[in-house]
Amino acid sequence: MKRNTLVLTGVLFILAIFAWAGWANFEYRQQAAERLLATAAKGELVVDASGSPQYVSPLTGKPAPAFELEDLTGKKVSLNDYKGKAVLVNFWATWCAPCKIETPWLVDLRNQYAAQGFEVLGISADDIDRDDAKKLADEKKEIARSATQLHIPYPVLIDGGSIDKPYGGLDELPMSFFIDRNGTVVAAQMGLTSKDEMESNIKKALGN
Amino acid sequence: MFAMKSGLPMLIASSVLALGSLAAQGQSDSASRSVLKGAAVEYLFPEQVTVAAGKASAVTLHFRIAEGMHINSHTPKDEFLIPTTFSVPDGSGVTLQDAAYPVGTDITLPSDPDTKLNVYTHEFVIDAKIVAQAGDHLVEAKLRFQACNNSVCMPPKTIPVAIDVIGK
Repeated sequence: MKRNTLVLTGVLFILAIFAWAGWANFEYRQQAAERLLATAAKGELVVDASGSPQYVSPLTGKPAPAFELEDLTGKKVSLNDYKGKAVLVNFWATWCAPCKIETPWLVDLRNQYAAQGFEVLGISADDIDRDDAKKLADEKKEIARSATQLHIPYPVLIDGGSIDKPYGGLDELPMSFFIDRNGTVVAAQMGLTSKDEMESNIKKALGN
Repeated sequence: MFAMKSGLPMLIASSVLALGSLAAQGQSDSASRSVLKGAAVEYLFPEQVTVAAGKASAVTLHFRIAEGMHINSHTPKDEFLIPTTFSVPDGSGVTLQDAAYPVGTDITLPSDPDTKLNVYTHEFVIDAKIVAQAGDHLVEAKLRFQACNNSVCMPPKTIPVAIDVIGK
């Protein structure tokens, strides 16, 4: 009887280990798939004919990865809500100095082209802590304060880190994706470029 | 039943081995690709210091920043920018009494000559004042910083600063 109990305990222990191993394996595979997705979507700097580096994203010419994020008021905003419009998805962060230089350009261009069906979605890549309500509220307040300081009139969405993989990771900021009215990425920019280059890509997204 | 009894330790051992390899597999793939290659900041030295136990002692820590990159100084000009900070974890046998940071250099980005940033570039030192208990302490201190070049920024990062502190 005692031996049977011992064996049964042992078997249950092994089964528990295998169940845990199976779960760990599943988690690992899921993470590996996400890494693969990020790697596949990751762009690179390529030196063009004039000798200047250009960001080339594998997402160009493909459907923009769908997402749904919260804005600063807690309202869910999805990329799908902007179907039929040209959209600039701009990843930025409160701590990113180059982002603060390009934001006034984005504001100007958004106001200039809004009537033609253009919108900017400013996605904050600032870390947020969803497990701590007070911390989350403070972090949202800081992002909102920064957005106000920058006079951002377009929707500011939080938790960009949750959608970074399909957009190639957020290892560098700012990062912008220009999406046409059909939801296809027509251009991408990494880093601070120029207002003219942004405008040219916005026109491309609008089909002008 | 006999076979099961004798195979039990083997099964447990193989399970543990399988789990170990699974964990190792998970870690080996953790590196992420970045357009900006390599570490932005590297801790240079000292690797080991000997100080008087229980007394405040000065230790000068040397760091190197990757070519073409800068990190915010300890006192960046914009309130939202992340300052460079050095810390020593509690319970390490060593306490950080004070840290003196170098004065940063004012720079402007080519696209915005009006906005000044206060940064560190190339190499910099932090003069730390530490108090070590008697004994050998392998301290994993931390440097938190946020690095950029003239057009892109990398997310804030914390790197380990490993120092063997001997309190005598």
